[in-house]
Formats: sequence, structure tokens, C-alpha cells
Amino acid sequence: MKLKELVEKFDLQIQCAADRLEREIKGGYVSDLLSDVIANGRAGDVWITLQIHQNIVGVASLKDLAAIIIINGRQPEENTIEKAKNEGIPIMVSKMCAFELVGRLYNAGISGTR
Amino acid sequence: MNLAKIKEILKADLIVGSSLEREIKMICACDLMSDVLSCVQTRFSSLLLTNLIHPQTVRTAEIAEIPAICFMRGKEPQDLTMDLAKKNDIVLLSTSFSLYEASGRLYEEGLPGCGEYREAK
Amino acid sequence: MTPYVKAPKIRELGYELKVRDAMDRNLITVQPETPMSKVRGVLRSNRISGIPVIDKNKLVGVVCVEDLVNWLRAGADNCSVEEKMSKNVVTLYTDEPLIHAINKLEQYGFFHFPVLERSNGELVGTITREGIIRGLLKKLEIDYREEEIRHYRASHVFEDMIADKTSLIFQYYVAGQDFNRAGESASALKKTLKRLGTHPEIVRRAAIAVYEAEMNLVIFARSGEIIVKVDPNQIRIEVEDSGPGIPDIEKAMQPGYSTAPNWVRELGFGAGMGLNNIKKCVDEMNVTSTVGKGTRVEMYVATKKESVSYEVKGTG
Repeated sequence: MKLKELVEKFDLQIQCAADRLEREIKGGYVSDLLSDVIANGRAGDVWITLQIHQNIVGVASLKDLAAIIIINGRQPEENTIEKAKNEGIPIMVSKMCAFELVGRLYNAGISGTR
Repeated sequence: MNLAKIKEILKADLIVGSSLEREIKMICACDLMSDVLSCVQTRFSSLLLTNLIHPQTVRTAEIAEIPAICFMRGKEPQDLTMDLAKKNDIVLLSTSFSLYEASGRLYEEGLPGCGEYREAK
Repeated sequence: MTPYVKAPKIRELGYELKVRDAMDRNLITVQPETPMSKVRGVLRSNRISGIPVIDKNKLVGVVCVEDLVNWLRAGADNCSVEEKMSKNVVTLYTDEPLIHAINKLEQYGFFHFPVLERSNGELVGTITREGIIRGLLKKLEIDYREEEIRHYRASHVFEDMIADKTSLIFQYYVAGQDFNRAGESASALKKTLKRLGTHPEIVRRAAIAVYEAEMNLVIFARSGEIIVKVDPNQIRIEVEDSGPGIPDIEKAMQPGYSTAPNWVRELGFGAGMGLNNIKKCVDEMNVTSTVGKGTRVEMYVATKKESVSYEVKGTG
């Protein structure tokens, strides 16, 4: 599935880097602990998190993640959006909570394992 | 669904406690403790899935009245975490799945998260 | 008595209580030489069904109603107790559990047993069905009273005290930077409020509010204090620290805004929800702070039904 389809299918709000939505999603990862994502995240994953501070962009860049989806309708900080624009990392927002969003993504075929 | 069934689905190990007959009505998947607390629905019959193995997880569960926690990726909690869980009668499980996989599987079984549970009420 | 003995609480008491706790120490005895004609009088006036027979301080037999009836039937001739008494006496010791007495009553169908002191074999009392029942009931009442007092004492503290105004103050000292202990005060307060009989929803809200405040204290300050004042109408919580202070309180109240250092996020905190969570849990909240000196958070939770709605304001 491409990021573009994901956005449509799950009614996600795009905050930046809307030009990068052609990327193919390889899998999914959910965690709010940066050290955990750095250790276990994989290139091409969509990262689901509650964190909104700018460090998430650094991590996403480092691990070459496909996109960051912020849940519970939280809005990322301005610094975060700026940084993400520069790095070309799409940030999207979902109103759902982690469990529900992950559940639906899993159902749609985006797996947590390779 | 009771904890015993969930333990089976997640192929989890039981680390602390024995009350596997506890009924679980909703799942909270979260690493941030403040968010666990702000989810009012959690009390009495929810399971917390988390990557965080620090004792604060158990303290949060105690304050929020969450009866059970499952840790991810086969992580084993610290001694203090286990002691607190024993003292406060909170069941601790550990699964080798990632939080993503575990959530996906439980969602497939029909368990709701906070948002959907709220609507059902 | 058997159905009652099967009841777990009665059995428990049956093991806990000893024969000496339920026996009748009023000793009525006869001697072997006592004439049988006197037996009827003794049985009747004491309203008992059997008399232990003592010879020089030793129990040698028991003469009971059945023996009397047999004697009457046989002609009521002039003879002594010794000739008509039962020599095979079933006895109990003072230190035996009461359950043995209950079992023996069932087993033998007698209504009474002599009780001996184990050390010297001396007769010290008798145990009857009435005595057992009385003993059990007395113990049950004591247990019940003790439980009632314990429960009553904690939850009626405000009603029992005679004053124009009564309040309880709990103080908790919090060490900053200690993440292993962070949350201890909130947990302790929760247990204390429960003991006081506070409504569970109020307990939950107060506990969450204190927990969040405590976490902020541990994250940002070196030390601080939590003072909780409980009176019949409300719970007032004051959290004070000597930390760095908050430069922009309004901004700090916004959900998601956080000035927590990065390592704190790895512990599951610092997501910027703390102050906001507190606001949702309490009825009134006041944050005052001086940069470089410290911060004080004051919160109120009303406990009287008429003055509060139990819903947590806002959604998660």
C-alpha cells in the first residue's frame, strides 16, 4: 500500500511533506520511546506515536521511516513540522487511539514483522 | 475475553500474578503514562500493552486501576516492577510480539480500544 | 449440630476455641457411696442430664438419666451410685479444640461430657451442647464487634469528632529525581482515602491529580511536599516544590507542551499532559510559580454530592 492510499482509507490529516506520499509502506511500528524506535524501527515503516516534539523527525530520518502518524488528534509542535518539511518526512494525524489505528492498519495488510 | 485467552493469542508468558480469569473489556496500547491516566475508561477491566518496563508502568496501572499489563518483545521487567505488581495484585505478562503485532492480533479478535469502548457505552 | 459444623466459619471457630472456653465450671458431683435415691433430686434441681462421680478427686464414672430410669425399672432398690453408674466415661481435656467436643456429641449421642485437666486428670468442668453453642456465639459476637469497630472508626471519623470543623491533614515528602519512588505518595493517598470511605470516583480523581503533580515534582525539582487536607466537604491538595519554576504557566497548561528533558520521555513521561490531566480531574486548580524559586499547585476536589458532578471534564 502507498502512503497516499493510507491517508484516504483512514482519513488522516496531512501536516507536511504531502509530495512524498507515493512511497510504498513496508510495515508498521508503534512506540513512544525513541530509543525503542531507534533500536527496532525498519526502513519503510509507518511510525505510530503520541510524541509531538521535534526529536521524532530526527529518529524518522535516521531509520528512513516512511511516515509518522500522530494519534489521538494531537497536533505536532511547530518546530517539528518545520524540521519534517526540511527532511521530507510526511507527518499525519489521526483522531483514533493507537490500538484502534494499529488494529485497522494490521487488518489492511500492513504487518509488524517482515 | 479473559486474560487466559489473551495470553494464548499473544503467546505470552505469565510473569507475575495468577488471576487469569480476569475479564478484559478494552485494550490500551501506550508508552506514555500520562496518556494512560487521561483515558478514563481504563479502570477495572482493561489491559495495558506497553514497551515501557519501568516500575512507573505498574504505579500508573495501580492509580488508574488497570488490572493487567503486557510487555512487548519478550522484555522482562525489573525486580522493583515485579514487586510492585505483586503488592498491588496486578498481573504482568510478556509477549515476544511487537506492540504493533500484538495490537493487530487483539484488534482482530474484536477487543476495543478506548475510543470505540466509549461509543459502545 | 452436624449441618452447622460443616459451615466453614463454624469449623474455623471450632478449631480456634478450646473446650475450656465453653465448659461449665460449676461442678456438681456425687460420690460412689451416694444412694441412687438422691440422684433424681440432683438431676432435677440442677437441670442436668448426667452427674460425674468423684472418688477422692478422681473421676470414676458418670451417672445419668438413663441409669436412673434403669434403676427405677429394676425396682428402685436401696443401692449406691457405684452400682448403677457407667464406668466407661468419655471425657475431654481442657486444651482440646472445641470441634472435638462437637464431634463427640454427634458420635456418642450424649448431651454432656466431663472435662479433665490434662496435667493431673482432675475433673474441672462439664461440656454440654448449650455450652458449645453459647461459646461459639460469644466468639462470633466478639469477632463481629471488633470488625465493626475497625471499619466504623475509619469511615466515621468526621461524624465522631466533636468540633465546629474537623479536617485531616496528610503530608508527603517527595524526593526529586527518584523515579523508582515516584508515585508512592499518590499510591499512599489513594489507600488512605479508601480507608476513610471516600467515594471511589473521588479517590480515583484525587489519586490521578496527585500522581501527575508528583511526577512533575520528581522530573523538575530536587524536592517537594504534598499536603492533603480532607474535610467532609472537600479535599484540598497542595503540591509545593523548590524547583526551577514555570516561566509561562498558560503555555504549560496546553496539552502536549513540555519542557521535560529527553531522557524523561524514555521513562514514559514528559509528554506534556500532566497539568492538563490534573485540570480534568479536579474541580478547581491554581498554579503559581516563580522562576528560580519554585512552583505551587493547589487543587480542590469537592466531596459532597450536591456540589460536584462526577464526570471527568473533557475527553481523553
